Amino acid sequence: MRPIDLFDDYLSGKLSADDVLDFENRLRSDNTFAEAFEQHKTLVDALHKSEKRTAFKNKLKAIHTSAFGNDAKIISINREEGFVKRYGKTVLVAASTAAIVVLSTVAAISPGVKQTNNEITELGLKLQASNQAIVEGIKEGSQKPLPAPANLEGSAFAFNNKGYIITSSHMVNGADSVFVQNGSLERTLTEVVLIDTKLDIAILKIANPDVVKTWDVPFTFNQKNTDLGEKVYTLGYPRKDVVYGEGSLSSLSGYYNDTTMYQISIPVNPGNSGGPLLNDQGNVIGVIRGKITGAEATGFAIKSNEIFRSIEALTVDSVKTDLLSQSKKQTLKGLKRTEQIKRINPYVFNVLVYKKD
Amino acid sequence: MSSSKVQYTEDQFIDGLRTGNNEVLNVLYKKYYNIVLKFIVNNSGTQEAAQDIYQETIIVLYENVQKPGFELNCQLQTYIYSIAKRLWLKQLKKNSKTFLFKDDDENEVVDVTEDMTVYETKEAELEKMNQSLAELGEPCATLIKDFYVQKLSMDEIAEKFGYTNADNAKNQKYKCLQRLKKSFFELLPVEQIERK
Repeated sequence: MRPIDLFDDYLSGKLSADDVLDFENRLRSDNTFAEAFEQHKTLVDALHKSEKRTAFKNKLKAIHTSAFGNDAKIISINREEGFVKRYGKTVLVAASTAAIVVLSTVAAISPGVKQTNNEITELGLKLQASNQAIVEGIKEGSQKPLPAPANLEGSAFAFNNKGYIITSSHMVNGADSVFVQNGSLERTLTEVVLIDTKLDIAILKIANPDVVKTWDVPFTFNQKNTDLGEKVYTLGYPRKDVVYGEGSLSSLSGYYNDTTMYQISIPVNPGNSGGPLLNDQGNVIGVIRGKITGAEATGFAIKSNEIFRSIEALTVDSVKTDLLSQSKKQTLKGLKRTEQIKRINPYVFNVLVYKKD
Repeated sequence: MSSSKVQYTEDQFIDGLRTGNNEVLNVLYKKYYNIVLKFIVNNSGTQEAAQDIYQETIIVLYENVQKPGFELNCQLQTYIYSIAKRLWLKQLKKNSKTFLFKDDDENEVVDVTEDMTVYETKEAELEKMNQSLAELGEPCATLIKDFYVQKLSMDEIAEKFGYTNADNAKNQKYKCLQRLKKSFFELLPVEQIERK
């Protein structure tokens, strides 16, 4: 019998009592044999550990995906500001002349933020205790509380006249509360009605019907295919103010040939996530999703027809019916770009996401 | 959004992790992610990097709580932050000689050198095993895992891999294991194992 087979039989308890005795005697008397046995045990033990570790890693990945969605490969471009204000001590590690890496959001902190630090933190706690208090505070109008900085900020835009708004799911996943605001709409609470983490879209609804009764969304969603090289543009909130970006459709597929996305030659920045991608006629052809590490002027957008495919797949309920009711009139066609933007702007929002912890 | 929010004490977290309680792991994972995410993103990292570092952090914690007599001498949050910081600094140093580093004022840092050493030693061994298994190729790697980890019988293995009988399967397993052994111990000298 080959030693390895003997080792395995001994370890799995397949040897008879007599054979076990023989085996153990041999371990004591034969050093080479004992050494080989130790080596075998080490190998099998390492194999077990490696399998256990792989299983644990997979478990963590599964927890992460179910809790926070999967943003692997593509950098999500939302701004995370709530904690940036507490940019404590800056320590220079290892002095040398090589390149210094700093995160851009840190540079963007306005000097005012730090001064009001304490106040903001306090309000932040209040906000976590009761979001309703803030909403009511806003409604009162006269003495508005200074809102706490959001944990995450990004963009979103109106989905139809019924008060639905579309954004990226990586923005709102696990959110405690989600607000939208822009030049014509005060900070307003929304409710998350749909999350598709695979496609990375989420649909929000403004609960207050008074806010949306005057809505007349000027753009429609393009359901047809779009041509390579078509001029496209986006509006979003990488800053507190709306920012315009233009370029062209550079590929009909996204990262790793993902056909649910377009590649665009618009430099997108943290905060652009969830904004609309529009064509020359002012039709929405997609939702800005992210950019790729290292490629500065390259962005990715989720195709609008994929979004409708995802909604179609919903089981029939009132939300689905609501979402599929889309305006067909193309009010922006033939208008100059600047005129288009004027009309679109009230329907593009800055999203403020608050998360616990 | 999640419907039930179970609260655990830090001791319950440690115990749950030790006994492999999935529900505890789930709650723990979600609870401390944002701390690490904030730290990494504020220190030149992407969300993707934050996810990797956080998962490695949880593995370090998991490995260490398995040690008999493990005791947490600080808050779990402090421990997690300290581990994540160590792992991230290591990676930053690997990529560039100089970088700006911003400590998060809200989090204390404790010395985790010893716990990191335990982890790194084990990690080196696992890395070698993974490498050896990758070199071994298929069907050998799966066959070995099926026998030693999944505890399939030789009959089951013969059936699964299409060998005519259990003896042939056993011979195949023998050859595969010899190759694995050779490559694993070439990578990892015996003395090194014994020193642990």
